[in-house]
Amino acid sequence: MNSGAWEEVGCAKLWNEWCRTTDTTHLSPAKSFCMFYHLKSNPSVVLCQCNCYVAEDQQYQWLEKVFGSCPKKNMQVMILTCRHVTDYKTSESTSSLHSPFLKALKTQNFKEPPCCPLLEQPNIVHDLPAAVLSYCQVWKIPAVLYLCYTDVMKLDLITVEAFRPILSSRSLKGLVKNIPQSTEILKKLMTTNEIQSNIYT
Amino acid sequence: MFVPCGDSVPDLAGHTLLMPAVSVGNVGQLAIDLIISTLNMHKIGYFYTDCLVPMVGNNPYATAEENSTELCINAEVYSLPSKKLVALQLRSIFIKYKSKPFCEKLLSWVKSSNCAKVIVLSSSHSYHRNDLQLRSTPFRYLLTPIVPKSVQNRIQSLNWEEMEKSPCIPEIDDSEFCIRIPGGGITKTLYDEGHTERERGRDTGRGRSRLHAPGARRGIRSRVSRIAPRAKGRRQTAAPPRDPNK
Repeated sequence: MNSGAWEEVGCAKLWNEWCRTTDTTHLSPAKSFCMFYHLKSNPSVVLCQCNCYVAEDQQYQWLEKVFGSCPKKNMQVMILTCRHVTDYKTSESTSSLHSPFLKALKTQNFKEPPCCPLLEQPNIVHDLPAAVLSYCQVWKIPAVLYLCYTDVMKLDLITVEAFRPILSSRSLKGLVKNIPQSTEILKKLMTTNEIQSNIYT
Repeated sequence: MFVPCGDSVPDLAGHTLLMPAVSVGNVGQLAIDLIISTLNMHKIGYFYTDCLVPMVGNNPYATAEENSTELCINAEVYSLPSKKLVALQLRSIFIKYKSKPFCEKLLSWVKSSNCAKVIVLSSSHSYHRNDLQLRSTPFRYLLTPIVPKSVQNRIQSLNWEEMEKSPCIPEIDDSEFCIRIPGGGITKTLYDEGHTERERGRDTGRGRSRLHAPGARRGIRSRVSRIAPRAKGRRQTAAPPRDPNK
């Protein structure tokens, strides 16, 4: 989002038991809803930032609302998500796993080669990312899910940098500027967030 | 709803539908996985509903690198046209309060696709067995009322045991007896629907049941709902029933 001018075009509001913030008096939509933005220079590019947990009994309706209002012809979907590395099942020794690392899942109609290895069996994906990918698979929409397995519980630069290979993908290459400077840009963004989240001062 | 993989809806008239109940030990689901991979059944569509928890993963039946990258979702339909067999695999649990709506949607699809019969593979908690059941094979079957005599005779010739009724409320001494399948998920609901369909058929003069078997078929051991009691937490799969005549 740092690469271009994005305009807010809508949001998906929902409530469930997980919808809690530390600051209930100044509840901002950006923290509790799913926000939708489009790129001003190319309005066909839409970004959804999901800041809340969409419960399993809300996911189907969320999909119908979001995808129901979009024309599906020539649509392509990319999903970015994270999981803790303890969720990753493998017969390899855990000492050989260098987290964070990226894995991908794609629908049948997604013809581009993914930017990282595919997620091996018996690993599976749940929650909203799985709901979105299932929807795309069933309705034959090209879609790819990039899943970052990380060993930290909160956002850090190393975890975010794990997504860097996708910036060079065919879908995102034209949207992201200053790829060599992306590390510096990320550092700046992460520093801003860290100050706000420090509760021990 | 059923969504085909291809452009046209496959013709399932006269087919046998095999499906698991999501039940204790996932026995039914494991059995369906084994059937799909052993018979090399190919995917013909998805059973897309809001009733199951979403999940995705890569092809669990992959035999080569080419087919290992096929995405699989929580409810898929596989087919073996040579045996007129269709298998529905369920890979996740029901969302709260959605099991009954799922049964309704499933049975509506079965009706509209004119499947000849439905076989549900299920399981139940082994610690609910009575003394007689503990001393016998852990396999049981249940048939819905509208089942041809030929199928009943075939099952009897195999010496399979029908699921016994047990007290509806075990804590009460003079409780009525009924079919109970603890840990069996939607098995009982589907079984009860088979009974209800018979009542509807009787009232309206129609005899067709969603769960009836029109004739004996060779090569498929399990034609009806087979409930394998097993202990919760144990992971070993049940062995096939032994022929008592051998």
